[in-house]
Amino acid sequence: MSDTEAIDTIRAAAVLARYPRRDPGDLVNILHDLQAEFRYLPEEALRETASHLGLAPTQVYGVATFYHGFHTAPRGEHTCTVCVGTACHVRGAARLLEQVERDTGIGAGGTTPDLSLSVEEVGCVGACALGPLVLMDGEYHGDMTPERLSRLMKKALAAEEGS
Amino acid sequence: MSTRLADAPALARRRAALAGSRDPERKVLAVCAGTGCRAQGALQVVDALRAEVLAHGAAEEIEVRATGCLGFCQASPLVMLLPDGVVFQHVGVDDAAEIVHSTARGDLVDRLLCIDADGACNTEREIPFYRGQQRLLLGASGLLDPTSIDDYIALGGYAALVRALEIGPEAVLDEVKRSGLRGRGGAGFPTGRKWEACRKAEGDLKYVVCNADEGDPGAFMDDALLEGNPHSVLEGMIIGAYAMGAREGHVYVRQEYPVAVERITRAIEQAREAGLLGARILGSDHSFDLQISRGGGAFVCGEASAMMASLEGRRGVPCRRLIHLSERGLWGRPTNLNNVETWANVPQIILNGADWFRAIGTEGSTGTKIFSLVGKVINTGLVEVPMGTTLRDIVFGAGGGIPAGKRFKAVQTGGPSGGCLPASKLDVPVDFDTLVDEGSMMGSGGMIVMDEDTCMIDVAKYFLRFLAAESCGNCTSCREGLACLHDLLEDISEGRGTHETIILIEKLADTVESTSLCALGTSGVNPVLSTLRYFRDEYAAHVNEKRCPAGVCKALITFSIIEERCTGCRACALKCPQECISGEKKQLHTIDPELCIKCGICRDVCRFDAVLVQ
Amino acid sequence: MDVELIIDGEPVVAPEGSSLLTAARAAGRNVPGLCHHDAVPANASCRLCQVEIRRPGRDWTQLTTSCDYPVSAGLTVVTDSPRIRELRAMNLRLLLRRAPEAPVLWAIAERLGVTEPLFAPVTDAPLPDCILCELCVRVCSAAGYDALAVSGRGSGKYVGPAFGRAAAEDCVGCASCVEACPTSCIAMEDTATTRRIWGRTLDLLTCERCGRAITTKAHRETIDPGIGHKEDERDLCDACKKRVVSKRLAPPGR
Repeated sequence: MSDTEAIDTIRAAAVLARYPRRDPGDLVNILHDLQAEFRYLPEEALRETASHLGLAPTQVYGVATFYHGFHTAPRGEHTCTVCVGTACHVRGAARLLEQVERDTGIGAGGTTPDLSLSVEEVGCVGACALGPLVLMDGEYHGDMTPERLSRLMKKALAAEEGS
Repeated sequence: MSTRLADAPALARRRAALAGSRDPERKVLAVCAGTGCRAQGALQVVDALRAEVLAHGAAEEIEVRATGCLGFCQASPLVMLLPDGVVFQHVGVDDAAEIVHSTARGDLVDRLLCIDADGACNTEREIPFYRGQQRLLLGASGLLDPTSIDDYIALGGYAALVRALEIGPEAVLDEVKRSGLRGRGGAGFPTGRKWEACRKAEGDLKYVVCNADEGDPGAFMDDALLEGNPHSVLEGMIIGAYAMGAREGHVYVRQEYPVAVERITRAIEQAREAGLLGARILGSDHSFDLQISRGGGAFVCGEASAMMASLEGRRGVPCRRLIHLSERGLWGRPTNLNNVETWANVPQIILNGADWFRAIGTEGSTGTKIFSLVGKVINTGLVEVPMGTTLRDIVFGAGGGIPAGKRFKAVQTGGPSGGCLPASKLDVPVDFDTLVDEGSMMGSGGMIVMDEDTCMIDVAKYFLRFLAAESCGNCTSCREGLACLHDLLEDISEGRGTHETIILIEKLADTVESTSLCALGTSGVNPVLSTLRYFRDEYAAHVNEKRCPAGVCKALITFSIIEERCTGCRACALKCPQECISGEKKQLHTIDPELCIKCGICRDVCRFDAVLVQ
Repeated sequence: MDVELIIDGEPVVAPEGSSLLTAARAAGRNVPGLCHHDAVPANASCRLCQVEIRRPGRDWTQLTTSCDYPVSAGLTVVTDSPRIRELRAMNLRLLLRRAPEAPVLWAIAERLGVTEPLFAPVTDAPLPDCILCELCVRVCSAAGYDALAVSGRGSGKYVGPAFGRAAAEDCVGCASCVEACPTSCIAMEDTATTRRIWGRTLDLLTCERCGRAITTKAHRETIDPGIGHKEDERDLCDACKKRVVSKRLAPPGR
């Protein structure tokens, strides 16, 4: 086991300690907590979870990949989430995704090779009145246009370099 | 206050004490802190108003309260002055001082009032958006701080629970049955009958589950209820558990709603502290506790058997249920599953009686229904109306019609598996049965308005893409069938479609509908079938004339610049990602159709409406 | 308990609660179906085994998959009709996207009168020719190994090793999945001494008498030596085992 793997295991164990019942019914909640800890679900953490709950690692992996809210690969430092709910769609969400792809070369579900940005689409975030909507690092930006989105992404990524 | 309420009189005393300590005449600036308003900076407005109140020394006379969703998202950020119900719209941080000063003087800020045809509307009741509404469920969200159990109790909260414990579980069940309440999650199954089956089912451990996995894109009613009035949902569940004899419960909530998760978690903690959850609630024999289960982001988990799988820590794959959930559900035990809005209706029914509830709505669909009215409509937001209200009253009454003088084309109801209804169906009353008869459905209450610029093939394609991605992947018919339907629609939108394509779509849709296990497949074809039923001419235009009448399908449209309108400002040329717009300053610009990727940015930036799409 | 039901007009007796597909096949009905195996729970994934049923006391019929439908008394079943064939044919065409060459699919296609695929094949599937029925995963799990995962969902679903790895580390090479796979899409390669399967190379155990491969050593370690066998008879192939045992059990003097 490499050092990082060992550290992942220790961090995962700390999360799992919050679930002393070892109830498989807690699996999805645990995956959420692990993702909050790691920003994705590292293999070692999933293996720890399997042994904690008495499940096969293959089962845990199957669950983790079933739900779109979970990621099994490292995520970018920033996340640009484009809402593609129906309301946002009829107001032009597809054009926003096209703009992201033009600017960054990655589409929904992708992460830039330098791990600076991940792009996601989400079904609906409940702010339909403001569509089309983009969440930049969790912050809502309503009535978005491709052009404004371009600027927004540039700003977010520049802030990273400056810090 | 975190003292445990030993019994019903203790709750009454708490309410009386709250009433005594609160001045009913005290002005409250209720700032809508729903998702939409927060996205527009509502929390900053709250801070600014609070700072201004302090600076003005008006803390005694004016309270600033961050409330749940007021529904009128179009006017966000929204502030309501209580107790009068005056609505200020589009409030910014800069308006804080003026609002506080005027309020202290007893004046209004005229420039922030809503304007309708007859002039300024002072109060909620006068605003067209609210006029036709009956906000039984949403009304309280605008009055209380959703993080405060005391606010809920002060407004009469948990009185229904007290009454339920007085009249006994059978009477509670009877009341819910007689009310005619039907499930708000989509299927419209009579809630009372579901409860009765679960009550009768044998088993010492039963579960009640709240479906808060609102997955329909374009719908946020449940989010608003959980964020705005979480205790009303809890109270409904505690009462339901009492009627069915359930001791444990789950709230299965969508993880894309972090604030809702936070609010309901907090409400559960508060209810536990107050003895409204846990052992021997309010000193009765009823013991019940709840836990939160976060969804992982899977639309299919809204299906009951898939949700049970998810709650048991498995992949959310639906399975055949030959035995009803009420007999064998979560962990094989009797389980009742109702949606957020259904649970939120329960306290009112118990408190006001079944007859009161039956008097609202229609005979077959009683009570009110919340719709999320979005898309190409002037007033977007949450609308709560009696069942049986016509689509026209919702879209053109509360919704105020279509913006920018465009023509109404369709309204999509029922979520991804619902259907699109055309203008000829605008006078249809919205209730469970009528919508199904017309080829759509109630669903959870999403209502997406489309105008002449919306292409119905594009809409059908959008839903099919969504559903194909959300299919669990077990049934061949759904997994492959929805993907193929999407591809066939894409053929049409890209100009490759023929008459045979349409015939194949209909045949394939029939197989997907007839041979898939769960509703994701069986009703997943509705978007195609309903658009084919009502907008066949639009399909014909794509197939026969290779033309997209709405100007959406990229392969069938071209961008050009109208000579008479172009001023040669260079705005479009500078922003064009393809750099394919040429033309000197103050000269006519032209778009190179070979290089143009039809991204539409030129049309966005043109201030002279000179970009033509046809 | 055995109950009586009617399949295509004929009275049939089958155990109550057993799979209707199995009962129909036992009664000689040729119902297509690729994802069912009596040894593991049904998941009704291929959707080819659709039949029409009418329950006693009901005056309407309904379509259902038969593999996961339990036999009950008085059930009336129709296993073939133009409507059923039409639906099966379309689902078969959808399966052909996944395994455009699979002989097992074309055999069914012939019976249903399907001569052309109709839909473009899926080209980016991690395991070509896999129809995603999960039989391999189900038998692996039933055998207690859980070496294979069902990952992803929708049309992006796939089966194989977890964690995106090339090898299924818990695979012992028992080959149950290979036997269960309806489209024979799981690669297994035996040399004289090794077996390659799911990205693993496992040592084979050879018969002590004849030298033929029995199974993998890893598989042998996980299973019971076998009731009634003596220790020194364990590592024999079936044929040699039979010979040795019959010799041992034969009456003396023969």
